[in-house]
Amino acid sequence: MAAVTQPLELCPPRAATLLLFRGVRNAGALRRRAAEGALPAALVSPAVVDPFQVLVAANKAVHLHAMGKMKTRTLYTEIIFNLSPNNNISDALKKFGISDSDTAVLIVLIVDTEKPVNLEEITSQVEGQQVSLDELPQLTDIEKVKKVTQRNNYSIFLVKKRNVRHC
Amino acid sequence: MAAAVAGGVGPVVAEAAAPGAGAETKAEVGAGAETKAEVGAETKAEVGAEAELEAEVVPPPLPGLQLVQQGAEACVFRGRFLGREAVAKLRVPKRYRHPALEERLSRRRTAQEARALLRCRRAGIPAPAVYFVDHVTNCIYLEDIAGAVAVQDHIESVQRRGGDAGSLLPLSKKLGALLARLHDEDLIHGDLTTANVLLRPPVEKLDLVLIDFGLSFVSGLAEDKGVDLYVLEKAFLSVHAGVETVFETLLKTYAATSKKSGPVIKKLDEVRLRGRKRSMVG
Repeated sequence: MAAVTQPLELCPPRAATLLLFRGVRNAGALRRRAAEGALPAALVSPAVVDPFQVLVAANKAVHLHAMGKMKTRTLYTEIIFNLSPNNNISDALKKFGISDSDTAVLIVLIVDTEKPVNLEEITSQVEGQQVSLDELPQLTDIEKVKKVTQRNNYSIFLVKKRNVRHC
Repeated sequence: MAAAVAGGVGPVVAEAAAPGAGAETKAEVGAGAETKAEVGAETKAEVGAEAELEAEVVPPPLPGLQLVQQGAEACVFRGRFLGREAVAKLRVPKRYRHPALEERLSRRRTAQEARALLRCRRAGIPAPAVYFVDHVTNCIYLEDIAGAVAVQDHIESVQRRGGDAGSLLPLSKKLGALLARLHDEDLIHGDLTTANVLLRPPVEKLDLVLIDFGLSFVSGLAEDKGVDLYVLEKAFLSVHAGVETVFETLLKTYAATSKKSGPVIKKLDEVRLRGRKRSMVG
């Protein structure tokens, strides 16, 4: 039951809460619900290597959101977009957002450190087992990572390229 | 000692960089070069808040914040960012500039630096990873190279322990090869000094990292690459004693590694002839 909440120092009082699930059976349904807006979270596919990568993407998304300069329509799609090394939104959502066949899902919520958050609302919708974020390396789909970052010796920091966009 | 060194390197660097720099940046180059040498010294010791912060500088809101170094161009801080030790490089506003120019210049410099760092990443050239660029405050949040030692300090400590130039040859070969890769990507560092190259621990592995791309730009011209090397040569020879062979090896490795090195070395020779107190009377 280890959901990790990291305060976003540059955008107080916001924080990002990360939850990791394995053995997920209803990825498709979750994805649809998120797209409709019924599930207020970013559903990240196993193309990520380290939670830090996700935090950096979230930090940038929240920052741009606060300035009204996001490139996508919602905060959560912005987080997924920021995970991608390239500028194509739909491509990013396809590769870094979950697909129907994914069995591992990383869920990102943006919360206020001052307000209490009900994680049950989210976790109850997932048909899978919640695990500690430490298990992320085991659940990473290396082939997928190689494909999305087009590198053979992948470095998670390649995706930080996105951070240079002029606001 | 650092101040004297910086003073010695400063004017020479400004001189060498002048051919490539535009009018507005000339003043910057002098000031910037001086502090870049100092900024490298950040790795020497955890100096903490010994330097006083200028009145107008707003430190980044990171927990565990510590001012590492304050230069003319930017202040360098360390702190925890998203759960990791990170470095925040904040550009210092210059009040003597017209505000519109100031804003545009700071933003451009910050963006250029970040872009150069990312180009390095993409090309596999070791440089700190960029975590976030805040264009509002002109602050770059970077990877902290924990326990790193500047090559400048390393060379000094080797020499103090009585090591001879021979023991520095592997280092110079690695550096030569690294710069060759950098220039083959058409990236000019702009402020190459031994204080701007770090060694990741353990030092014996010679795992080099380039830092401080504040004056960097993209160029395929042999002239610019030659000047880049000249800047390093001057910095090298003026800071460290008896290292001529070390630098020669560096250049040899550079020439062997880089695919486009021929014209670059030629230009370097030309630039050397142009330098201060050199008579160009044929």
